[in-house]
Amino acid sequence: MTKLRWFSIAILLVLISGCSTDNNTNRNDSETVSIVTTTSFLTDLVETIGGENVSVTGLMGPGVDPHDYQPSTSDITAMGEANIVIYNGLNLEERFAEVFDQLGERDVLTIVAADALDEASMLFDPEESDFQTVDPHIWFSVSRWKQVTQYIADELSAYDPDNAENYRRNAAEYLDELDELAHYVENRVEEVPEKSRYLVTAHDAFQYFGEEFNFEVVGLQGLNTRTEAGTGDISEMASFIVEKEINAVFVESSVSPRSIEALIEATNSRGHQLKNAGELYSDALGSSEDDADTYITMYRSNVDTIVSALNEN
Amino acid sequence: MSMINEITLIAVVVAIACALPGVFLVLRGATMVSDAITHTVLLGIVLAFFITQDLNSPLLMIGATLVGLATVWLIETIQRSNLVSNDAAIGIVFPLFFSIAIILITFYAGDVHLDEDAVLMGELAFAPFRRLDLWGYDLGPQSLWVMFIILIINSVFIFFFYKELKVTTFDPAFAAAIGFSPVVIHYALMTLVSLTAVGAYDSVGSILIVGFMVGPALSGYILTHSLNKMIGITVIMAIINSVSGVRLAFFFDTTIAGMIAVVTGSTTLLILIFSPKKGLFQHQISQNRARRNLNKEIEKMA
Repeated sequence: MTKLRWFSIAILLVLISGCSTDNNTNRNDSETVSIVTTTSFLTDLVETIGGENVSVTGLMGPGVDPHDYQPSTSDITAMGEANIVIYNGLNLEERFAEVFDQLGERDVLTIVAADALDEASMLFDPEESDFQTVDPHIWFSVSRWKQVTQYIADELSAYDPDNAENYRRNAAEYLDELDELAHYVENRVEEVPEKSRYLVTAHDAFQYFGEEFNFEVVGLQGLNTRTEAGTGDISEMASFIVEKEINAVFVESSVSPRSIEALIEATNSRGHQLKNAGELYSDALGSSEDDADTYITMYRSNVDTIVSALNEN
Repeated sequence: MSMINEITLIAVVVAIACALPGVFLVLRGATMVSDAITHTVLLGIVLAFFITQDLNSPLLMIGATLVGLATVWLIETIQRSNLVSNDAAIGIVFPLFFSIAIILITFYAGDVHLDEDAVLMGELAFAPFRRLDLWGYDLGPQSLWVMFIILIINSVFIFFFYKELKVTTFDPAFAAAIGFSPVVIHYALMTLVSLTAVGAYDSVGSILIVGFMVGPALSGYILTHSLNKMIGITVIMAIINSVSGVRLAFFFDTTIAGMIAVVTGSTTLLILIFSPKKGLFQHQISQNRARRNLNKEIEKMA
């Protein structure tokens, strides 16, 4: 039996020595540019800008928390064949960081959406702590998302000059649509009296939204969806809600509703009526049945949910 | 080499590297040590992070390995006291270390994406993308080399200490009587378990480590009574499970680690039921036969 062991080890040695130097990157040579994107927001954006000149593979589907993403074999095949990889950055796709760095060294263009923004415009985690962390949920600021659109269009044009005209035109059209969206959101938010503009959610995903449209945003957990909210967090938050007379809180499509449910119980036990006002899309787009499968419909759906819930008094 | 072949090769190397120490974990009834390590490494990562404040520092890997060692040594020491059973020792150490890590995270780093995944890749599908470059040559996936070295260390250790491992595993009292201390060899074995688990964690993730360490070795344990043969069967099962798991994952377009774990669980269960020596099926047949014989004897007597 020890013979057998050495035999199998010898086979492995042969296999390994046979595979050493050949670079297996058989890049896609067809007409379209193969692009891999991480979040569903980026998938939507790149499909819009790229149009028919690109084929986009989005890694994280609807309702997937970037933290819980499990790659399937077709995902990694797409990554192996991609010309361009586009990701959010700011540690959102922490598990990919090393993989993307490696791809970058192998003739794959890597575009980081967060590179479109200058550091001064980043928001930090609101909680006091020793480690300053940049909030990665940049897609909830329409103005920043416009910068990202422009940036990606420029990068695509530089990579594929033949179709640069198309990318620029698509991007320009999309920028108009985003302006329209911003108007829509501003108008809807106006409907909510200023004193009730509180957005209470499970984790800190909506800071950029709050900053842009004058909402006070309070997250029960920090930026990390993995850590649970502690009992202290919940009772502190319950007091806050009673004091500010907030009557609606929101769950998120990609985060477990448990801690928000605990918060509702804690608040109701203090004699203050608090209701769960429905689901917001935070870390991923929704499905086409819910009419939230593009960035713009998702954003509208979120704002409609928020405004109608906070207006009901 | 294509991606599927590279992934298959990595899976096979990791599977054998884990299965070899797994044989002795199964024999000593301490299989869940592997599960304990994959959780307690978080403590090492958190502690190292407080020192370096940098998620990409190599110190975090070292911290993980050291806490892995602390875990197995502490479990070993508690077992050695003979006050509690094997699994109870694991049950004390693993939740203790793991929850200290969780408490530290909520205290000090609630807003940092700090967990095992952030430091240890733990995803077999990504392994081919992390390559080892030396002097401008692409030498293949990094995790293949790391796990290959660990495989060689494990093989050499078992090869040279085969007799010692055998006697201390099956008859520790006799080993002590002939003047050979089982303590050293057990600590050495557990050190290898920890090293293998942390290395494999970075390549394939936590579920697979438990599957790789327990499944093939258990198959070998059920199929034979000889340690030699058990090691052989374990290695063969490790290869079969990982190769077919990877192929099936590509066929069904799903997560690779999950598919290998399913295949490992299924083959082990099948062997458990249908093994010609100790299988449940065989057990039932011989029981029925014994009952029939007994009935005949009773009839004769009557």
